[in-house]
Amino acid sequence: MKNSLLLACCMAGMLAAPAWAEEPAAPPQAHGNFLVNGPMGGVWQQDQMLGDAWGARTWLGQYGVTVGLTEVSEILGNTSGGVKRTGDYDGLTTLTLQMDTGKALGWDGGTFNASGMHVHGTNLSANNLMNLQTASGIEADDGFRLWELWYDQTLLNNTTDIKVGQQSVDQEFMGSQYSALYVNTMFGWPMVPSADLLGGGPAYPLSSLGARVKFTPEASPWTVLAGVFDDNPGGLDPRSSDDAQKLDDRGTNFRLKDSALFLGEIQFAYPTVGDTQRAGDTVLPGTYKLGFWYDAGKFADQRYGTDGLSLADPSSNGIARLHRGNYSIYGVIDQALWRDAEGEKAIGFFVRPMISPNDRNEIHFSVNGGLNFKGLIEGRGDDVLGLGVAYTTVSDRARDFDGDTIAAGTPQPKRSNETVLEATYQYALAPWWNLQPDFQYVFNPGGGIADPNSPTGDRIKNETIVGIRTTLTF
Amino acid sequence: MKQLLLTAAMIGALAAPAMADDGYLTKPRHHKNVTSSVPDNGDQNPYAIFVAPASAGKIKKDDVLVDNFNNAKNLQGTGSTIMIYHPDTEETTLFADIPHDLKGCPGGVGLSTAMAVLKSGHVIVGSTPSTDGTTATKGAGCLIVLDSNGQVVSTIAGKNINDPWGNMAVIDHGDSATLFVSNTGFGVGAPAAPDPVVNKATILRIELSTAGKTPVVKSQTMIASGLSEQAAKDVFIIGPTGLALSADHKTLYASDAINNRVVAIDNPTTLTGPGNLREVTKEGFLHRPLAMVMAPNGNLLVTNGKNGQVVEINPASGKQIAAQWLNADKAQVPPGSGNLFGIAMKPTGDGFYYVEDDTNNLSVSE
Repeated sequence: MKNSLLLACCMAGMLAAPAWAEEPAAPPQAHGNFLVNGPMGGVWQQDQMLGDAWGARTWLGQYGVTVGLTEVSEILGNTSGGVKRTGDYDGLTTLTLQMDTGKALGWDGGTFNASGMHVHGTNLSANNLMNLQTASGIEADDGFRLWELWYDQTLLNNTTDIKVGQQSVDQEFMGSQYSALYVNTMFGWPMVPSADLLGGGPAYPLSSLGARVKFTPEASPWTVLAGVFDDNPGGLDPRSSDDAQKLDDRGTNFRLKDSALFLGEIQFAYPTVGDTQRAGDTVLPGTYKLGFWYDAGKFADQRYGTDGLSLADPSSNGIARLHRGNYSIYGVIDQALWRDAEGEKAIGFFVRPMISPNDRNEIHFSVNGGLNFKGLIEGRGDDVLGLGVAYTTVSDRARDFDGDTIAAGTPQPKRSNETVLEATYQYALAPWWNLQPDFQYVFNPGGGIADPNSPTGDRIKNETIVGIRTTLTF
Repeated sequence: MKQLLLTAAMIGALAAPAMADDGYLTKPRHHKNVTSSVPDNGDQNPYAIFVAPASAGKIKKDDVLVDNFNNAKNLQGTGSTIMIYHPDTEETTLFADIPHDLKGCPGGVGLSTAMAVLKSGHVIVGSTPSTDGTTATKGAGCLIVLDSNGQVVSTIAGKNINDPWGNMAVIDHGDSATLFVSNTGFGVGAPAAPDPVVNKATILRIELSTAGKTPVVKSQTMIASGLSEQAAKDVFIIGPTGLALSADHKTLYASDAINNRVVAIDNPTTLTGPGNLREVTKEGFLHRPLAMVMAPNGNLLVTNGKNGQVVEINPASGKQIAAQWLNADKAQVPPGSGNLFGIAMKPTGDGFYYVEDDTNNLSVSE
């Protein structure tokens, strides 16, 4: 807990003194002029690389159908630390089909959505890093899979919408506008649910059947988001450490027989439509979210077996005690700290703390936060520099299990916490193309687990990760 | 649980905005989406709004016409459609889809914020055209004249017209009309970095006879010149966009988007050449002021291009009364940036229509 507080203080310090670097030199512009004025002209202005795709988008648009195709590709490698040092490539192709049922069928307010993905490349975190807070949010098991398949209906003058079907809850719950910039997984679906829900829960690349409702009174700053989903898309046994992605390797399990996962979130956004500003007022926009999840399923104790002995005890029956239910409380803050009058340059802050019970979870606490600097370089108003930190603590019960293991005669370090620093710069080449160099540094990888290659059982050394990501929207 | 307290403290730090003042915007208001402005051909970025003063052809009195600046590829200066919203039936239909290669309109068709519906049923709409979505391929454009069924009957082009851009101010006598329109294309080149500011934008007064099937231009008089304009990759052109007449027609107000100010031109109906630009108010709440109307209380309402707000200004004192968010879309920084363009008063005076370019909607504040 002390470490968590220290971290909070450190973040507050960053806030108190937001260093605004001296204005950097303007970037070379000849290239930009070529992009704008060159033979490909409008290609560099449009939202998608293929624009109208030879008329296909317009043609489909008549029937209310939109097609989205994106590719995220990255090369990441660890230049120090880890269990080995190599670079790897990994990528994600996502195809999304949406139909506006108003246009297609005359049924207003409905959206049908189907998305699928292909994950390719290798997984640096699993192969080299063995860290808790995995280096890339797109790392997953290779292959094609269905992602989401849902129908959304807006009601009551667009104040309410209900979404039913196969959904990935990370697309809506716990979301942060600013954290979405970062490459490390924890800035997307955070550490607590990733580690504590079965198979990481219904979040990328998994999804579950369920329903959610979103209610925003017209021109109100408040939004309520609530949902219930099958909690176990892979059908994992709570005592096993199987790979849920392999158990649901095509995303088509469509399970409904597991326990329920409830999520609820109340959101406040400022400013909102109708807010009025008077002379002398300075308004910096922010979004605040307070939420919880409750999983009605069974979860394995991190230390004790059904016989009451520690699972590390040589005479243990090896069958973990099961607890009914699991839960977490979380908060998300996105807050602008400063912006220039023109809106070209801005600084934003985000933080997302969350906790869950010690006895049934490997991870008890996680928080990530950071500062985003938009338009840091003169003339590059769409670029963003992000400086983020993610921190997580291993639960006391899991640490006690480590202690028991050591006491039982197996020398190994006792896990504690892990911290990741990330610096990333998103360079906008065109509305449909970003390049993003990335740097991460991991303190105490895996919470301080032993390096399997170390004959003396030393902890895995701190890791330096460098890489570059590119995002293309076709 | 200390982490919980920390989270609670951070959330509790939120301050509520203060309220109280007088003015048009400061009364309790209700904002809602009225209709999508996207036609079947996928055109995007609604720009101009004009409320029909009379019924004729496809147009019913109080209908709301909205044009689109972008095509389905979201390229600026390529939109060709005008939608018509009928408040009585709450239906939205296509009013006109103008051919891109319209003869008599140099550079083609990309419908701008310049649009007016006359009592005669004629619709006058500006074209600020491009082929690649930037000013690199812009043409001088024209004013397109349509009949009340959405058919093109003529174009107005020539040396005085170069990218007619801002919302028109109109004095409509039925069989004749006076139009005020800004031109923002003179001397503007391709986007560059940095984009140079050119002080060549104009405001043109056009006297029109509307008695016949085809309106006839009686005279064109440049009543303002030397206004600032600038090519811009993201928003095509920045220049004088909002024009609003005082009730007695003795003053024309113009939004000077680049210099974040509103200027006034006195005696706009009788000037025989460029008049003086008198500064009414500058900066403060103004962040790229665009379209402008006069509210029933005599105050100006001007939309901000840079932050989703509408700003109320007392034109007599120059006092900025308040700024109110019409669009607070957090996908932009600052929220709502780049989403507002056209604005038009409801015929009842108890509210105004506006367009939202992030969602391609016509909305109303009332």
